[in-house]
Amino acid sequence: MKLRAIDITLSGMFAALMAIGANITSFIVIGGVPITLTTFFCILAGLLLGSRLGSIAMIVYALIGLAGAPVFSKFSGGLSVIVSPTFGFILSYIIVAYVVGKIVEWKPSKRNFILAALIGFVINYVFGTNWMYFSYKYLAASDAISYSVAWSWMILPLPKDIILSILAGVLAPRLYKNINRNMIVLKDKSIA
Amino acid sequence: MSNSLIIGQYVPSDSFIHRLDPRTKITMIFLFVIFVFFANSAASYAWLTAFAVGIALATKIKIPFILRGLTPVWFLIIFTFILHLIVTKDGDILFQIFSFPVYSGGVIQGIAISFRFFLLILVTSLLTLTTTPIEITDAIESLLDPLKKIRFPVHELALMMSISLRFIPTLMQETEKISKAQASRGVDFKTGPVKDRIQAIVPLLVPLFVSAFKRAEDLAMAMEARGYQGGEGRTKLRELKIEKRDIFSFIIFGLVIIVLFLLRV
Repeated sequence: MKLRAIDITLSGMFAALMAIGANITSFIVIGGVPITLTTFFCILAGLLLGSRLGSIAMIVYALIGLAGAPVFSKFSGGLSVIVSPTFGFILSYIIVAYVVGKIVEWKPSKRNFILAALIGFVINYVFGTNWMYFSYKYLAASDAISYSVAWSWMILPLPKDIILSILAGVLAPRLYKNINRNMIVLKDKSIA
Repeated sequence: MSNSLIIGQYVPSDSFIHRLDPRTKITMIFLFVIFVFFANSAASYAWLTAFAVGIALATKIKIPFILRGLTPVWFLIIFTFILHLIVTKDGDILFQIFSFPVYSGGVIQGIAISFRFFLLILVTSLLTLTTTPIEITDAIESLLDPLKKIRFPVHELALMMSISLRFIPTLMQETEKISKAQASRGVDFKTGPVKDRIQAIVPLLVPLFVSAFKRAEDLAMAMEARGYQGGEGRTKLRELKIEKRDIFSFIIFGLVIIVLFLLRV
């Protein structure tokens, strides 16, 4: 796998953007609920950087978080995150960025951007919630949290994440155009 | 604030644990996490706990500080304990809480599982308390070195991690600046219906993304101009070296694991 300097800096920068997205609530408050934009940023990573660089950026994000930088939501971080039941969401970002990138690489139309974003959102929820369920089941060795209970926890942030995913799909082509206009290196080779 | 982002949870000190090679620490903690699941008797749990607490004391970090770092997960530990207390129905009924019978089996299992949790979290957090993210990045690059054979971009991955760590504080400041600039133009992030506030994200994100990509481009051009050729033949600012104390701690760790297996039922 050959990575150019621009590929390296873009992936690194996107991992840094993810850290901002996870804690954007320290800048803006939406309805008093601690919201994170990680899913939103992760979908954008797939849409803007493509499947390969997008998923690499998400791996980098997970690694710097595990290495102790407080980049996950609520400024958490450190190796102990592995034990937390919500670790599955962090892992799912890698798959989400990859799949989302693959879809738009296959056919980059405005409709596909939104479709890809929604598919990414579904993967994020399915993977994350299943991980949560199984981590309660095996790590905490308890059957008390049933499958439906695990899913019922996800209903509350559901509408917000659907809206944000659609927004990501709408925003990505605009961002892409804007970025492309401002950059020289990327002009010769399209990234999305 | 931005300072705490670079060093993460790291607490500077000159203890034995701090001075160990980060690779030694990562390997041992990885093995410890696996061996925790082998503990199955009170004696083996007690032995592992003694070991973990011993390391925690050896770091010379104040105990309240370590415990404060665990606050987000206390909930998880206690939750697991209560869950087992209520659900498990083995052994004799000990007492009742609000007409919930508590069985002796539940208490034992609850203690065992939450102890396992506690051990895992304590030991893993000790790594990030005694090692900076940059040191861990170097260690990951060195540990994953064999993967270069299958053309896995180990060096590039480590470089991306360093770039990312370097630019998080910068982008944080940038976000703050942009949100203030947009607020002065009348964008309202704090009041109004949810729909409006979600829309308010757009004028914040577009400049943020453009500036982040611009920075990435500048950096890439600077790298190209200096003749960046990937990891081939590059020298390092921080060299990692295995010393006597690393070998010594591996021996101690091996002994601890042997005793653990003797204490198993």
